[in-house]
Amino acid sequence: MLIAALRDLQWRKRRFVIAIVGTGLVFAMTLVLTGLANGFGVEANRTVDTLGLQTYLVKTGAPGPFLGSSPFPPTEVQQVSRLPGVQVAVPLVYGSATMPDRGSARNVNVFGAPERGPGMPVMSGGRPPSAPDEVAVSSTMRKAVGDRIEIGSRTLNIVGIVHDSTALAGQPNIFLTVAGAQQLLFSGQQLISSIGVRGVPAQPPNGYRVVDRAGAVEDLSRALNGARQAMTLMAGLLWVVAALIVGSMIYVSALERTRDFAVFKAVGVPTRSILGGLATQAVIVALLAALLGAGLSVLLGPLFPMRVDIPRLAFISLPVLAVGIGLLASVAGLRRAVTVDPALAFGGP
Amino acid sequence: MADLRIKDLVVEYAKGEYRVRPIDGLSLDVSEGSLAILLGPSGCGKTTLLSCLGGILSPSAGRIEFGDIDLTRLDERELSHYRRNTVGIVFQAFNLVSSLTALENVMIPLRAARVPRREARRRAEELLDRVGLAHRMGHRPGDLSGGQQQRVAVARAIALDPPLILADEPTAHLDYIQVEEVLRLIRELASGERVVVVATHDTRMLPLADRVVELMPHIAYTEHEPDTVELQAGETLFEQGTMGDCIYVVSEGELKIVRELASGGEEVLKVAGPGDYFGEMGPVFGLPRSATVRALTAATVVGYTVQAFREKLGATGSREIVEHRPLSGEPAPGREPD
Repeated sequence: MLIAALRDLQWRKRRFVIAIVGTGLVFAMTLVLTGLANGFGVEANRTVDTLGLQTYLVKTGAPGPFLGSSPFPPTEVQQVSRLPGVQVAVPLVYGSATMPDRGSARNVNVFGAPERGPGMPVMSGGRPPSAPDEVAVSSTMRKAVGDRIEIGSRTLNIVGIVHDSTALAGQPNIFLTVAGAQQLLFSGQQLISSIGVRGVPAQPPNGYRVVDRAGAVEDLSRALNGARQAMTLMAGLLWVVAALIVGSMIYVSALERTRDFAVFKAVGVPTRSILGGLATQAVIVALLAALLGAGLSVLLGPLFPMRVDIPRLAFISLPVLAVGIGLLASVAGLRRAVTVDPALAFGGP
Repeated sequence: MADLRIKDLVVEYAKGEYRVRPIDGLSLDVSEGSLAILLGPSGCGKTTLLSCLGGILSPSAGRIEFGDIDLTRLDERELSHYRRNTVGIVFQAFNLVSSLTALENVMIPLRAARVPRREARRRAEELLDRVGLAHRMGHRPGDLSGGQQQRVAVARAIALDPPLILADEPTAHLDYIQVEEVLRLIRELASGERVVVVATHDTRMLPLADRVVELMPHIAYTEHEPDTVELQAGETLFEQGTMGDCIYVVSEGELKIVRELASGGEEVLKVAGPGDYFGEMGPVFGLPRSATVRALTAATVVGYTVQAFREKLGATGSREIVEHRPLSGEPAPGREPD
């Protein structure tokens, strides 16, 4: 009874449109939340990748080279560079600083690495910093080469731009020389956060442990784990809300069409055809809502102050999940349709 | 031969907390090519019988045979097939699907029978043309008059050319002009080998019929002297669902008035003692008895015709009887004397 299902969609189009818009908004919010949660990982991955290092040596007991780092003197860097399996070893500094930004303060992630060594990302404009008062900043700060920024009590000259480099929910990354970062973060003390390594040391020196790329990414996004879990939970709840919207609409539709179903059954339409029609309605609503949700999420994403990086898989799986949700949601309506007694068709108006 | 044969049909079902038996032991034969009218007031079981004939309701006992099909032996799947291919139903109040056009409504049974879309459309157009609605095919039921809707319903009922057509109150909700259209159409249906069964309380349809079946036979009451009945304890005076012409006044003993419950038991409505009367509604309105009366102790009751009871009650109309006014000089049951 596809024709009856489609005609009913037309007949009650206002209600179906409202359901599609409502469910579409919910799907859009789900996608945006998924994009936000995914964005945390994406920017951590990108930041780590731009450093061009394979492993990191940190003090035993320190969780990682970034947020979990425990500063130590760079005395072991030369020794590490001679370890079997190590091609290059460089001192790395990491920390967080605050800079004024249009009347308020803004957090930035400070990275210190040798000018020409690994650890310094490729510049999309200008050149890498070579002096302690020079800095390369993320393009997301909307600064230009030649501009100056104040961080703490220091004024730094922007000499390079790194394309779209952020971490920790959209905070821009800035890159200095090791000495520049030490002056900014450690008051000039000769301390580093980790030893960046190209290659994999066969055996780390005593008191150190090796952190691989995945461990570094995990360390850089650890602070956001709670937020990511909350967003994943919210996204799950939104799937339920979407199912309830579609389900309630199909159920109300089934209630209103009780007489129609009774007539269908009385004239010999198999119950499975009636159920097929109802399920088709649920699937159509869910698919249209998924399409609308995908479009809205693309429009809404850039409005968020954080990176919204919706995985392609989410766009692909949304219609599949939407169909699943539509069918699941229509169960109550389907059960209602199954129980309709064809004898009802004999009733008066 | 596709005659319709009904033998000792009993339909009993629960309605609310009580059990009702709208059809009790009905037997009926309708020959092919004829139109039978089931006549009776509301609640007499017309629609129930149509539901049974349409394979929608299973009777409690008895047999329904149409040609070589014994409906009472069909399982759910076979009943669905029977409904689709053997029966066409014209429902009371048309029961067209509001979201579908007239054409699409007629196509429903055709598509359910897996007739290809194009063929179903051609057949539906042909049928609507036949019932004079070629110009209204694309209209939804809400845009059609009552008579037009009923004609669409007739076209839907005959879409698969079923040998049995059932029509439930086909003239209800129609004005006299629309009734004329529908009467003509229904008469035309009963041709060839087709059997048409129409349930109605509209006596204007009677001239159409080859056979009229009164589901609630009119009892010709005759005046007679009061009838004294003596009952032993446990003996039944009358049973629920039967017809009767007497209103009973208790002279001696006690009788209980009970109604059958859906759960299988009985609910005692009242215990009648000397001076009480009961059983007045059935004879006054020509309805079946709505309860069973059984003697609790040895009892004597006197049965009066309605007219004789009116005279005894001292009333001229039925109002006093319906309101169960106490007999003069006797206390009302459960009440203080006025």
